[in-house]
Amino acid sequence: MDCDDLEPLIEGLADGAVALDARGLAHLGSCAVCQARVEQARDIERFLASREVPSPPAAFTAGVMALVRHDRWQAERVVDLGFNLAMAAGALVILAGIGGFAWSLGFLSVTIDFTAAIEAARTELGGRLVSQVQTIVMAAVLLTMALALWWWTETDSSF
Amino acid sequence: MRATETGAPATRTPRGGVAEHELIERCRQGDETAFRELVDQFKGLVFALTARSVPNRARAEELAQDVFLKVHRGLPYFRGDARLSTWIYRITVNVLSQERPELAAVSLDEIKPGEAEPRLKPVTHDRAFADLALKDRLDKAIQRLPIHYQVLVNGHYLKGLQYEELAEALNLPMGTVKTHLHRAKRQLRHLLETEFR
Repeated sequence: MDCDDLEPLIEGLADGAVALDARGLAHLGSCAVCQARVEQARDIERFLASREVPSPPAAFTAGVMALVRHDRWQAERVVDLGFNLAMAAGALVILAGIGGFAWSLGFLSVTIDFTAAIEAARTELGGRLVSQVQTIVMAAVLLTMALALWWWTETDSSF
Repeated sequence: MRATETGAPATRTPRGGVAEHELIERCRQGDETAFRELVDQFKGLVFALTARSVPNRARAEELAQDVFLKVHRGLPYFRGDARLSTWIYRITVNVLSQERPELAAVSLDEIKPGEAEPRLKPVTHDRAFADLALKDRLDKAIQRLPIHYQVLVNGHYLKGLQYEELAEALNLPMGTVKTHLHRAKRQLRHLLETEFR
């Protein structure tokens, strides 16, 4: 047996999985290179066995749970968006269908005199808007608040 | 639940058994407490594996959390063919491989030509200093190993990770694990004798 024969057995010797025969022991006893290799392998074995096991931080589980909740919220948001889009598309299709049906039966005929409409907007609509400005402002405020509330609940993952 | 050859329900061991099956079912039903239990059960080993493979502790924590996020996403598709622990270790290996793709693609049998004739380590009479130096060199050398070897070396010396689990996690035959572990340590020794002298 020579160094090349012994080389693949070094780690087995170090962790006790391999036992040498007489020829192997004779070579090891007389070869400084192989002895140094075995010593190195035993050092490695000793250090691997005694290495400190890193512990996760105390807040690790809480961090994972927050991550999972956020992930779930994002998935639900995608589903919500898809649902809302589908509902809107469905409503549009139904409205278009009703309109088309009414038009085909002759119940719906639209003729717009744009010049007259613009003129009416100038004279009548302006006056109406001025008289209703308080109501319009209140409605706008309420609508803004409702939209803000909706946005806040959608963006806050704790909901 | 698996059945025996006689058709009777297989008796589950406590490790991969009824408790584990129930835990998985509860997790699948969206029971947050159950998933918290699962994380608490496996976080030690998962974090130890990532922290030993990635030098940056904060990054190791992110990777360990990513493992559990993937576990959560994958639970509905987990068929139970392997033990839960094995499946989680497999995910850990995949996450580590994605983190360090250059080490994931390395052939496990690859030994660089220069490492064939290692030089002997220098003799030192200060044992404590030599030990400290060896520990530092060893940590660096381990992080240079292919990911599969890292998981073998890091996982084998953690309490609770069996040869069988390592074999399943790394998709290796049971008999091959010991051989690969010896090869991993041999490669470590070569690295210590050459690049990390």
